[in-house]
Amino acid sequence: MTSYVEGSPVKALIVDDSAVETMVLTAMLRKFHCEITTAKNGKEAVQMFLEGKKFDIIFREKDMPVMSGPEAIEKIRALGEIHVKIVGVSVGDNAQEAFMRVGADEFLPKPMKLDVVGAIIQEIIKKKKKNNDTVQA
Amino acid sequence: MAATMKLSTLGYAASMLSTGLLDEQFQKLLLLQNKSDPNFVAETITLFCEDGEHTIGELTKRLDKQCVNFDEVAAFVHKLEGGSASVGAKRVKNTCIQFLEFCKEKSRDGCLKTLDTLRVVFYEVSGKFKDMLQLEQQQAEATK
Repeated sequence: MTSYVEGSPVKALIVDDSAVETMVLTAMLRKFHCEITTAKNGKEAVQMFLEGKKFDIIFREKDMPVMSGPEAIEKIRALGEIHVKIVGVSVGDNAQEAFMRVGADEFLPKPMKLDVVGAIIQEIIKKKKKNNDTVQA
Repeated sequence: MAATMKLSTLGYAASMLSTGLLDEQFQKLLLLQNKSDPNFVAETITLFCEDGEHTIGELTKRLDKQCVNFDEVAAFVHKLEGGSASVGAKRVKNTCIQFLEFCKEKSRDGCLKTLDTLRVVFYEVSGKFKDMLQLEQQQAEATK
């Protein structure tokens, strides 16, 4: 998780090979002033972590070319990235088990709801603030 | 777009909703548009139309082969399913769901038949989206 500075944006990574869905989720996350990075597949996402990039939350589609969502989650968690919130997303509910098995924190069926995404972002902001308060104490 | 779209264009969208071509997700899409992102809906549905056309082309190619790779076919259909769900293109989404069932059953005939249906419903909605955007553009130019 990135460190908290009052008013600093939540850093979100969207991993989806669909440009349409990436565009819609980006518009939602902009409503909450998130700093948004996108990747077209799991391999690109893993590469970002290998390069030392940090995110507060990852939204990851299940079925993608090159590397699937669940496979990428396994690799990211294996890199020690245990604090970043990982949200698995897919059309239909049947991807939930595949995501939770590999360490995703949550699953959201598509199309995502703005209020649900908003609640998740607010939760992250609270957590970051709490972590920051704990470090400063 | 709710704030910036012309009433006539919203009326066009409403008729697509009432005929079941679109569902309430499209209304949610309209609400995501605002002054800092005034072209969001136009860009999203344009992208949906372009991606969808590409997908149908790829599906046609892959199902034309004697030996069909159903996993590849399913991957394309799944992507279109997701895109159509995100823009509220209800009939396209539902056709994709049927298509995926035939992919699971590895039924080439079922896939081919559903592809025909997909073509019809996709071009119906993308045609109406293009008309809607054209109307919006004409209205914008008329008020300059």
